[in-house]
Amino acid sequence: MPNPNSRRDFLKRSSLALGAAALPAWLLEREAAQAAEIDREALAGLALAEARKAGATYADIRINRYRQESIATREKQVQEVARTQNFGFGVRVLVKGAWGFAASREVTPQSVRQMARRAIETARANAPFQKKAIELVPQTGAQAKWKSAFEQDPFDVPLERKIHTLLEANEEALKVRGASFVESGLSFYNEQKFYASSEGARIEQYLIRSYPRLNVTAVDSVRGDFQQRAALTSPKAAGYEFVESYPLRAEAEQAAHEAVEKLHARPIEPGRYDLVLHPSHLWLTVHESVGHSTELDRALGWEADYAGTSFLTPDDLGKLRFGSPIVNFVADRTQPHGLATVGYDDDGVPAGRWHLVKDGIFVDWQTTRELAALTRSRVSHACEHADSWGSVPFARMPNVSLEPAPADASLGDLLAGVEDGILIYGDGSWSIDQQRYNFQFGGQTFWEIKKGKKGAMLRDVAYQSRTTDFWGACDGLGGEATYELGGALNDGKGEPTQSNAVSHGCPVARFRRINVLNTAAS
Amino acid sequence: MLLSESDAKAICAKALSFTKADDARVSLGGDAHSNLRFAAGSFTTNGYREDAELSVTVWMAGKKGSATSNELDEASLRATVAQAEELAKVSPVDEEYVPTLGAESYRPAGGFVEETLHLPLDARARSVADIIDDCQKSGAVAAGFHQTRGSFAAGATHHGNFHYGHSTLISLSVTARTLEGAGSGYFLRNHFDVARLDVARIGREAIQKALRSRQPQALDAGAYTVILEPQAVADLLGYSRAEFDARQADEGRSVFSTPGGKTRLGERVFDERLSFCTDPWHPELPGPTAAQDGIPAEKFFLVRNGVLEKLIYSRFWGKKKNQPATPGPANMILAGSAPPVSIEDMVRDTQRGLLVSRFWYLRTVDPRTASLTGLTRDGVWLIENGKIAHPVRNFRFNQSTVQMLAPGNVDLIGTPERVSSSESQGANALLLPALKVKEFHFTSASEAV
Repeated sequence: MPNPNSRRDFLKRSSLALGAAALPAWLLEREAAQAAEIDREALAGLALAEARKAGATYADIRINRYRQESIATREKQVQEVARTQNFGFGVRVLVKGAWGFAASREVTPQSVRQMARRAIETARANAPFQKKAIELVPQTGAQAKWKSAFEQDPFDVPLERKIHTLLEANEEALKVRGASFVESGLSFYNEQKFYASSEGARIEQYLIRSYPRLNVTAVDSVRGDFQQRAALTSPKAAGYEFVESYPLRAEAEQAAHEAVEKLHARPIEPGRYDLVLHPSHLWLTVHESVGHSTELDRALGWEADYAGTSFLTPDDLGKLRFGSPIVNFVADRTQPHGLATVGYDDDGVPAGRWHLVKDGIFVDWQTTRELAALTRSRVSHACEHADSWGSVPFARMPNVSLEPAPADASLGDLLAGVEDGILIYGDGSWSIDQQRYNFQFGGQTFWEIKKGKKGAMLRDVAYQSRTTDFWGACDGLGGEATYELGGALNDGKGEPTQSNAVSHGCPVARFRRINVLNTAAS
Repeated sequence: MLLSESDAKAICAKALSFTKADDARVSLGGDAHSNLRFAAGSFTTNGYREDAELSVTVWMAGKKGSATSNELDEASLRATVAQAEELAKVSPVDEEYVPTLGAESYRPAGGFVEETLHLPLDARARSVADIIDDCQKSGAVAAGFHQTRGSFAAGATHHGNFHYGHSTLISLSVTARTLEGAGSGYFLRNHFDVARLDVARIGREAIQKALRSRQPQALDAGAYTVILEPQAVADLLGYSRAEFDARQADEGRSVFSTPGGKTRLGERVFDERLSFCTDPWHPELPGPTAAQDGIPAEKFFLVRNGVLEKLIYSRFWGKKKNQPATPGPANMILAGSAPPVSIEDMVRDTQRGLLVSRFWYLRTVDPRTASLTGLTRDGVWLIENGKIAHPVRNFRFNQSTVQMLAPGNVDLIGTPERVSSSESQGANALLLPALKVKEFHFTSASEAV
């Protein structure tokens, strides 16, 4: 058994490891406010002992702290500056083939015993009616510490600097004639996770995520029209260096110009067009059509009541043509700055990388230890995740990305092959059916492509397609130089719904003859 | 454990006593939540969670800072207040500051039934297992979500306001999918009183819909007359409540904005038989008695007889526009003034149309028209000559909710029923009727079941 690791020690170590000069004052105050030191190892011992006494075949406890800082502005005002932290634990037991889970914010020995007993009672109450006994594939308990890739902890950066960054961007947007409103924000997230299992695992993880964002609205009050253009940023598992390197001011100015331009842009004529999709747009199409359809729990009907099932079935593995032969999708929980990148999942399995679609053929699923027990390979891909100490872990999406072309190809190269098409930037409205066939996506800006060249701006564009038809129509991919990582912090799944942060990398990509509609006319 | 009114009051008072700010507001909320999921004919996950969280907002020399924590011991409260003060000190002046409220009186609304919180674990397991068995006997596979929740919300201010409310909830959703995968039915209901949730009906309706939706036929997309069951109405209208924001409308960026910088207040935007109201004391739908920032919630109309009567003003925007801040909405009730028509009679009254049971994955496509996209799910049926002809495949729609309810497009209105939007998973509660509307725009077909 490892030495007991207190949270205070961990923070000190983390702070040194990350090169921070000192903990910020607010964190020190928070630390000072801890009336009693939390001895996580001792608490884990209590929970696991209760589970052992009850005959649990598996048990774990997660003791996690979540911190968030958010700043919201509009025009010249700061609307909100807020910090949140949330601390607690959850105990999960597997008794007589049935799960039990209970969690509390009261992180005390008494509460840990109570919740462990509540979890056991739940498992025992459910066990007589459990039609299929839960089984997990074996896993050796790891002893590990892991932190995500970042240079500067955003929680150490003075607030004034962050506010200045936002108000400066707002000012830039409002300089543009016709730009009426601008909202901007910065959000930072820190997860401090501790996982201990009955298999001897003791894993500490420290994750940092950052999200700069902005939205400009241009109002034509005479005509009663308005248009918006959001920044093309996505959140990343990165520190404040991501915010500093992102050209928010320039993006604000461009967003303002384009919001104004949209007011007078030509409405799209509905029909079939070739589409060239920028990574700032395409990540969301990858997420909905590829990320969700390749979740094995969905294919088995486990999410039938809410998130839905999948058009893919276990029989399709290795056979179904998902896309054209140039299409390769890789799942990766190790990708630097990926929002779903971790050292270990919430089953204690080390993160990995694997293909979901290879040369256009569907070749693998997203799995957890529970799902892997139902597959021939019996290998978990480490997709177990809970969004809080109080949430039960289940299968969540890893970073799922479209691989770039092996040869160098630019946006211009892809446009060159289009006679009559549309170039789309940024994510807009999105929707997909419960089996992931039929989808509709909008965007932020739309540009006509005529005879291989980017032309004038269009508006009111959305495209509808069917997942395998769409990816089958992909006939051009950009090279590595065009690859960008998009993503979201709030992918919802499960009941009660849980949020998952996940990234999707893509190059620019071209699709032939896709159905486009005019959203204003429809 | 839920905090009682006296415990919540003590914690709020203590937090307020720790700040020397010019003004301050604290809110304290928490819940005890228990759930059981089932799918593929067996139990999958379950959970029990107890949590409570305190948020502190302070204003110091006009500057605002906020901090939130779920650690409620005295030292942690002190630290949370200190964080809020630290943030306020380095923030610019809050241009939208409105002094916090003083003491107000609140009329209790009900909605808390102790028994709902104490449903025995084995009784829950047995009742869900019964639904799984019933599905199996009917040739269907069950999936679903059962939850009970008790929650409380309290608030207090530097100027002497204090309010507290608590409520309970039980909800159950069941999806029944036929074994060959060609039919799917869904039914969801919730209540604050465990004795008022008709578990047997929920299972029965899901199974019937699954069996009736088998072997759907393809039908071309286009504009159809539709009968929307209350669930489908909840899925549509539960999504678009933010449209009533006054500031958005005044700023020219809402469906209720008009050319020339005005709003559509006073205009007959909806069918004259329709009224949207909110009523925290409605016996079927008791709502919170404190609205934004602690304003006592009131019963009022947003839309009366089709006329847009009120938009929702925040305290800041109301002050700026010389309008009272809106005391709600605490909940959402849509009612018709004409005698209600049953779904069966709506079908009998329809020459050709579609009966829709549920919508899925709704997103705004165009905020200028409150246009949404989304899909039908778990049962669509073609109606011909006053009878259900056969099930049809699902559709994607692109439709403005405001145009859907506009004068001339609403045909028949049913009896309002307590429902919950499926995207809220049973967490919200709305009182909505079935509707028959003349034109609803489907833009493509989906083969999803």
